[in-house]
Amino acid sequence: MRLASILLMSSLAPRGVLSGRRWAGPVTFGEVFAMKMLKKLILGVSLLCAAVAVVAAPAAQAKSNTVTYAMYGDIKEWDPSAAFSLEVMMLVNVYEPLLWYNPPGSAEPFTPALATSWSTSDDGKVWTFKLRKGVTFHDGEPFNAAAAKASIERTMKMKKGAWYIWASVDAIEAPDEETLVIKTKTAQPIDLIASSQYGAYMVSPKAAEKGGEWFNQGNAAGTGPYSVRQWKKGQQVVLEKNADYWGGWTDKNFDRVILKVVLENATQVQMLKSGEADFISLVPADSMASLAKNEKLTVGLIPSWKNSQFLINVQKAPTNNKKFRQALAHLWDYEGVTKNVYAGAAVPARGVIPATMWGHNSNLKAPSFDLEKAKQLIAESGVKQADRKVTMAYIGTSEEYKNSALLFQQNAKKAGVTVELLPGPWGTIWDKAKNLSTAPNLQSMTWWPTYPTPSDWLIGLFRTEKKALFNLSHYANPDFDKLVNAAVDLEGSDRDEAIRKYHQAQQMLIDDAAAIFYADIKVRVARQASIGGLEINPAYAAVFFHRIHRK
Amino acid sequence: MIKYVAHRLVMMTGILFGVLVITFAVSHVLPSSPVEMMLGAKPTQEQIDAARVELGLDRPLYEQFFRYIANAATGDFGVSLRTNQPVASDMLERLGATFELVTLGMILAVLIGTPLGVLSAVRQDTAADHGTRTIAIAGVALPPFFTGMLLQLLFYGTLGWLPLQGRIDSEILLDYSFETVTGLYLIDTLLAGQWQAFVSALLHIALPVLTLAVFSLAVVTRISRNMMVEVLSEDYIRTARAYGLPRRAIHYRYALRATLIPLLTVIGLTYGYMLGSSVIVEFVFDWPGLGGYIVGAIISNDFPAVMGVTLFFATTYLLVNLIVDLLYFAVDPRLRMA
Repeated sequence: MRLASILLMSSLAPRGVLSGRRWAGPVTFGEVFAMKMLKKLILGVSLLCAAVAVVAAPAAQAKSNTVTYAMYGDIKEWDPSAAFSLEVMMLVNVYEPLLWYNPPGSAEPFTPALATSWSTSDDGKVWTFKLRKGVTFHDGEPFNAAAAKASIERTMKMKKGAWYIWASVDAIEAPDEETLVIKTKTAQPIDLIASSQYGAYMVSPKAAEKGGEWFNQGNAAGTGPYSVRQWKKGQQVVLEKNADYWGGWTDKNFDRVILKVVLENATQVQMLKSGEADFISLVPADSMASLAKNEKLTVGLIPSWKNSQFLINVQKAPTNNKKFRQALAHLWDYEGVTKNVYAGAAVPARGVIPATMWGHNSNLKAPSFDLEKAKQLIAESGVKQADRKVTMAYIGTSEEYKNSALLFQQNAKKAGVTVELLPGPWGTIWDKAKNLSTAPNLQSMTWWPTYPTPSDWLIGLFRTEKKALFNLSHYANPDFDKLVNAAVDLEGSDRDEAIRKYHQAQQMLIDDAAAIFYADIKVRVARQASIGGLEINPAYAAVFFHRIHRK
Repeated sequence: MIKYVAHRLVMMTGILFGVLVITFAVSHVLPSSPVEMMLGAKPTQEQIDAARVELGLDRPLYEQFFRYIANAATGDFGVSLRTNQPVASDMLERLGATFELVTLGMILAVLIGTPLGVLSAVRQDTAADHGTRTIAIAGVALPPFFTGMLLQLLFYGTLGWLPLQGRIDSEILLDYSFETVTGLYLIDTLLAGQWQAFVSALLHIALPVLTLAVFSLAVVTRISRNMMVEVLSEDYIRTARAYGLPRRAIHYRYALRATLIPLLTVIGLTYGYMLGSSVIVEFVFDWPGLGGYIVGAIISNDFPAVMGVTLFFATTYLLVNLIVDLLYFAVDPRLRMA
């Protein structure tokens, strides 16, 4: 305010007052002084530039065996037992789990990592892993069954991040150096859990002793192909080749990985264009076309295991009426939303399990966009005309949610349903949706699995909860619960039967119209075309730098 | 004098307390939950409950407030929910970067702005004056993020002369070691005798400093021009002219000196102003200072960090103002007499 008034005064007052008696001398001291200052300044800056140019000429150019990834946020949690946000890019390269989950369509479901073979008892409650021999952690400690046991137990005990994937574990035994036995209370797919992108990494017991504070100074001690060389907060994380890596090294491998913090998407795009970055993490939709024209770059849309739905509150009027809910599902323009709102970066969903995840069924009977059908269902529902009003909450900063909701609002109007839009920050709308008294009728939700299992959606979003956490449909169906619980128990022992049950459970959700399942999300990616060996795996939101090379 | 300083310091404490109350209220009264930021996207109910206790969110608001004040008084601003590090150490680490950027920006703005202003004043209503003022208005009219991006496009995209973002080259940061003494890379690299690293730091700071300077140049130029014009029209200058004193003496001994005090005010204000603009400039250039830090904190409702940095900015602003006021005593003999 003070500044503003000074500016205002200075711009208005003197001209009017002074124009009649200004002093227009020939060359005055002030002018000489000013000119001299300017000249000196220009000379100084030019000299400096020249000096810099001379010195900078041979400045360090990115080495060919270095790969640079522009990430939009810094590492937050360095402790692999607690990490659960943006750390996966560092984790998969520095640490290893027992197993890696293979991309959909692979011949084998898993690639052995620190376990070489594994088996399960008939009841699916005892899992025996044979561990890889001769592996050492970055700090020189040997990897063995005791270390593996300690790693998992530590994660379970800390109760941070994704620890709950191990919640069913009853006991872990290490009968000898190379054998790890995991016993569970109920039958569990420990092979899938052990390949989780969070919460399943093996960490050096010596490092674990030092505690979370040691990790959070940018330290790490895994068995992966890269070790952490440097962390400059808010600037970069540098990973360096672990020469002793059991998987070995070839000339083609990158010796060094720079994970650079670049907050702005426009900046990331420029870095990609100039070749300074090999990968970027934020690809703006409107840059896709211009990047695609660049021969040096590869851009594309890859499937992910993220999907979006609007959960329908089944306990709150008027959406406590099943026919009314079904009508809402027919008022959604599935094709229009994915094609226009998501600009192709999504495909219409069929059920709650994404198309590339096991347990998906493309033959489910799902509602289509059908105004007449919706009108008919509304009439049958018996909901009075005056009560045909619903509230719809979504994350306000998301253009996709906003435009999808606006489109839905328009279509609903045609069927005589009023939609009130309630955008807000996630923390706020989530808190409100948990409580029936403040919950909206429709709630935006984007979900992905912690480890590769359909149960993550079916349990996380729809199994009965005493106190709602993510079941924001407030869906409570004992038949559904029974079905899903039985399926989870079969995941380890009879996966085909588990899948059949998952199909039934999904159809149940569609028939009950517990949500509008509308989009399987695709991720926009862009990288240098010279990068080879890249494999798309929705199980890990990361690049495995040891497996790629520069052509 | 001592009484004056003491009085100002007491007032400062009052203002800072007010700032604390406002930031605390804004970050705590709004019905938003910071726990999901702290715990990642999919926490369990057990984790949420534990986090609420850990953050003290289960306590009554007044208790949370007094606990915060008590901790803040000992320099403990809590742990950032976003970076998982103590806010105080985060701030300390990033302070140097912001100080380096803003100070250089100010020096550049004053070095260019003052002579331009003087030139514009003595050449009032000529082409030089109009030109200068046009540049000044353009500078203040362009938002810094826009100027920053234009400069990036030109100097990185088209010309390829200067780096795009960051504080120093990645490889240099890795391969050339220099101790953090002052936190200012330009000085630390020189102290360590790492000429290459110094050059890299200099190249990296060029565009952010220029962006900040362009934005503040307008203020400095306009104000120094107007001050000079005003002084030149004073009666005592006319009298001096009537006495036949040489022009050089009139300008040097009387006019320019008289603009020193307002100029000091400008410098003080500009510094505070630049601290504000640095938030955006740091974000655009990924400058690892406090500005980029607070943007991230606000977006993610990281209230311990927001409160810590707000308090720091407020303190700096008030301190700079105090220093400027004290400098008045040094440069203005009339105040010393009083």
